[in-house]
Amino acid sequence: MYTLEKKLLEEPKKTSFTYSERNAHLLASSKDLKKTFLKTGTTIVGMIFKDGVVLAADTRSTVDKIVADKNCEKLHFISENIYCAGAGVAADTEHITEMVSSRLSLHSLRSGEHPRVVSAMTMLKDHLFKHMGYLTAALILGGVDATGPHLYSVWPHGSVDCLPYLTMGSGSVAAMSFLEARYEDGLEEEAAIGLIGDAIEAGILNDLGSGSNVDIVVIKKDGTRMMRNVRKTGTISGDDE
Amino acid sequence: MSNPFTLNGGTVLSMKGKNCVVILCDTRLGSQYETVSTSFPKIFKMNPRVFFGLAGLASDVITLHHKLRFHVNLFQLKQERSMPPHVFSKLVSTTLYEKRFGSFFAQPIIAGLHDDGSPFISSMDSIGATTEPEDFVVAGTGADYVTGACEKYWEKDMEPRQLLKVADKCLQAGVNRDAFSGWGGVAYLITPEGVEKFDLKMRQD
Amino acid sequence: MAEPVKLGTTIMSVKYAGGVILGADTRTSAGSYVANRVSYKISKLSDRIYCCRSGSAADTRFLADVTKTNLSMHSSIIEEPPLVRTAARLMRHYTYAYREHLSAGLIVAGVDEIEGPKVFQLPSGGSAIEIPVAIGGSGSTFITAFVDANYRPDMNKAEALQFVIRAISHAMDRDGSSGGIIRTVVIPESEDEEVAEEWHKTVL
Repeated sequence: MYTLEKKLLEEPKKTSFTYSERNAHLLASSKDLKKTFLKTGTTIVGMIFKDGVVLAADTRSTVDKIVADKNCEKLHFISENIYCAGAGVAADTEHITEMVSSRLSLHSLRSGEHPRVVSAMTMLKDHLFKHMGYLTAALILGGVDATGPHLYSVWPHGSVDCLPYLTMGSGSVAAMSFLEARYEDGLEEEAAIGLIGDAIEAGILNDLGSGSNVDIVVIKKDGTRMMRNVRKTGTISGDDE
Repeated sequence: MSNPFTLNGGTVLSMKGKNCVVILCDTRLGSQYETVSTSFPKIFKMNPRVFFGLAGLASDVITLHHKLRFHVNLFQLKQERSMPPHVFSKLVSTTLYEKRFGSFFAQPIIAGLHDDGSPFISSMDSIGATTEPEDFVVAGTGADYVTGACEKYWEKDMEPRQLLKVADKCLQAGVNRDAFSGWGGVAYLITPEGVEKFDLKMRQD
Repeated sequence: MAEPVKLGTTIMSVKYAGGVILGADTRTSAGSYVANRVSYKISKLSDRIYCCRSGSAADTRFLADVTKTNLSMHSSIIEEPPLVRTAARLMRHYTYAYREHLSAGLIVAGVDEIEGPKVFQLPSGGSAIEIPVAIGGSGSTFITAFVDANYRPDMNKAEALQFVIRAISHAMDRDGSSGGIIRTVVIPESEDEEVAEEWHKTVL
């Protein structure tokens, strides 16, 4: 094998800092590089109900003030029984959840047990803490495992909250107003889907960073149901998008 | 030095049609307001069914192209098959995210056809956050203007010739309003029958 | 959202005749937004050693987790329950080693068979002092005089618990970054008595 080829193949597949100095030099006089990143100025919500956990998100992604995608997916697959809603820099939420998803499936293959929500939470928070807040990912992790339903929020600096209902993203305040008013313990599935839809809708309508449609995923002991575009709140009827 | 994303200028666009995709770009290479070259294409053929457009800092466009070319060739040699477009898209995404804290100043778009003839397009930011919309993708200095035109003129299930015409119109409408793009253009129309290349007639100012 | 999650907090710990009590409010804020109104700021380090956390939520959780792990390894090696002094030393080691990168104000408290009840204050910077009563967090400035005036080392358990609840209630009333309910952990010196983790409403 050629040396160059060999060298490239042996390159460790982890975050590289090779261009950091060059970029710092190039950016010395141009201020805001971060503005060119795809962000999910988002509303995401998670809730525990009678039979499990329900997560929901809007579907707008933005670059600065331009809407880059009108129907993106912010509910990320972790495993059959665990999902994760992401807000922040799209590349970060996408890649972190994907990494945890693959590590978790290897972990469960090796241990011969079904994946647990705490394992996913620990991997997420350890990774975010290690990067000291430079990875902009605010996540709501939910799922049902052998020990019952679980719901966590993971913040960019690596702190974790565990509560029966959670919101995150730029529209979190609008969404939280609905949950604080109407959430109660042991909600039926239909009522939970209705409430979480209303909460996301509050984000879509009142927060400029959130928009378009409502995605919901319902996770129960006996299976997971992913529902894309349950409500097309930001769309004029008759329009396709 | 100004923003590296807009230093050299350039715009790329790709649109989905019925069993076909088209990918277009301008050919200007500048240094701020000074035009250095009018023959700097930003679209690369990675294999017979996958095309790759890159807008941004010219040095990164070239570096990234070579880096990906290496991996695509190696894939071809090892697996004795062409890399499918969605796999190439993922390769680009991970290659970009590898440099999360010192990114390439380039935004890629990918256009191609799957084996069953269904079209594929995707676009990314400079750290690999992918979008795979059902209509069109745009990147570069004129992206905002081109997006507006596409939003108006794109329709579902366009035939190849109509698709090319619409995409050309949209690109030119946007590019002519962007000082850093223009001075000629190239388009590739990808259909199950094959690929056609077109040089676009365009304003020269 | 960009702002780090902070435990703008009121935490305290007191020695009483027969054990120690730890107390904390339950507000977690990110800027002006209350991210969690029922959070846990008292973490378990071993069976009879706990710590109160103030500062960055992520940093202090990390410190508590690392200390807990190493303390349990140490305890396995010596084949005895750990000393409070050891827990505080271990935690001081980390707060000092990472002092440039961490924002954490901690109180380590508990009982052990050799030295009895002990309370250690670990301010940010990597120092540790042993004192009979420790207060910390943004809310503690409002209750220094109250604590100075009302603390007695000979209080019994009920008196000490009431003292902690009153002190934190006053802090929560004046400090915008403290609020919610009051969580307490009572760690008695006697082996026969259980450790009690409880919550209380404010008394004002």
